[in-house]
Amino acid sequence: MSGAQGLRWLARRETLRVTRLWTQTVLAPVVASMLFILVFGLSLGSRIREIGGLPYEVFIVPGLITMAMVQAAYNNNSSTIFQARNDRYINDVLSAPMHPWQVNLGYNVGGLVRSLAIGLALLALAVPLTGVGVEKPLVLAVAVLLGLVLFGALGTVAGIFANTFDNITFVVNIVILPLAFLGGVFYSVEMLPSPWEELSHFNPVFYLVNAVRHGFFGTSDVSVWLSLGVTAALALPAYAWSQYLFTSGRRLKA
Amino acid sequence: MPLSPPALELRGLTKRYDDGTSAVESFDLTVHDGAFFGLLGPNGAGKTTVISAVCNLIRVTAGEVLVFGRPAASLEARGWVGLAEQDINLDRFLTVEETLVYHGGYFGMGRDEAVVRAGEMIDIFDLRAKTRVRTPKLSGGMRRRLLLARALMHRPRLVILDEPTAGVDFELRGELWRYIERLHDAGTTILLTTHYLEEAEELCEEIALIRGGRLIARDTADGLRESYDADTLADVYVKAMAA
Repeated sequence: MSGAQGLRWLARRETLRVTRLWTQTVLAPVVASMLFILVFGLSLGSRIREIGGLPYEVFIVPGLITMAMVQAAYNNNSSTIFQARNDRYINDVLSAPMHPWQVNLGYNVGGLVRSLAIGLALLALAVPLTGVGVEKPLVLAVAVLLGLVLFGALGTVAGIFANTFDNITFVVNIVILPLAFLGGVFYSVEMLPSPWEELSHFNPVFYLVNAVRHGFFGTSDVSVWLSLGVTAALALPAYAWSQYLFTSGRRLKA
Repeated sequence: MPLSPPALELRGLTKRYDDGTSAVESFDLTVHDGAFFGLLGPNGAGKTTVISAVCNLIRVTAGEVLVFGRPAASLEARGWVGLAEQDINLDRFLTVEETLVYHGGYFGMGRDEAVVRAGEMIDIFDLRAKTRVRTPKLSGGMRRRLLLARALMHRPRLVILDEPTAGVDFELRGELWRYIERLHDAGTTILLTTHYLEEAEELCEEIALIRGGRLIARDTADGLRESYDADTLADVYVKAMAA
């Protein structure tokens, strides 16, 4: 017994949860991000000069897609694990013949599927609306994967530690959203006066947004290797943390 | 012919929770393969802790837990155990059929096998009319039926029933016990906790009494009555817990 079958079924269950609740899990974030593109990009964008030689409505697309995807990865993993803990049906998974790494991976699949569905839908809508293209698909794929691992793992950890749903939304509102907004989603940090430009370099989301932007445009505020390196340096320990919780059973088992 | 290992063997099981509460202390217990074994004790005696240790649901402080000779945490052992918990803990996103099929999948079944087996369990537990109903919309009795069906879905060798008839009507209780007795007759080991002492007396070949995380007596119902000079198991229970 290897647990491979269990992993497949857990991944399937997590995917089912996303598709069964698709209006909440996919449609709502796509609509919210499209409103940003329409309002900030197409309406107000005409009053903002180009950034880095790109029309404003094109410039903001990578950041908005990144923001929507990482939020979805976080929200999905945190809520599915919190609900499973709260209703105690996580016991059905914890008692099953699966390795802890399989349980962790299985729970991450839902966040991955949800985020990719949102990202692809936004891309499909943004291409005809703004004319944005993808210059370096491989860089984009690696950047997105690292971002989803990072925020998916943080969601898993939050879902394991949360005592109430408020704990989960607190992290979104107080940590993730501000970091995303201040990470250069809507502007290039080069436009900021000192010391704000320098301070932005301490924001991990800044590097993720820049890595994704490099995938779209082939250029970004900082070296793509630095962006990918910083994102990877955060993603791997975050995933290791979530794995530690499943392996040790801390907070999951009394 | 080699002797088959016990269905369950606990050696020096100790569980202290993070707040310092000691739930069980140096607890030893052996349940033979094929037994119908009752674990009785008041609330907080440590019954659920023992069960949780067997099912990989708590972090054991010390001691060893073996299921059919294999460590309880091993994948092999986990696949041999079926648990119906005291509290209803059904996945709110799944229908009745999905609950069973996904559980089968978690426990290593392929899709076709799981669907066929789920159909069997749906018929056995009279859930056919609710096959496509999601679990939050089921009545309390239906949820309890589904919980039991789920525990038996992957054909476990050791079935653990933690207060399975709590809040269950008379009719379902009778149906449930008839099915469990058939399972037992077919060789499945049953570990039962219940507050219904007459059930334990009627069904269990052997009974262990547990209090304050320690085993205080273990025998057949007749043996316990004799040891405690009591007429009924209820009298035994009262005397044992008061001692």
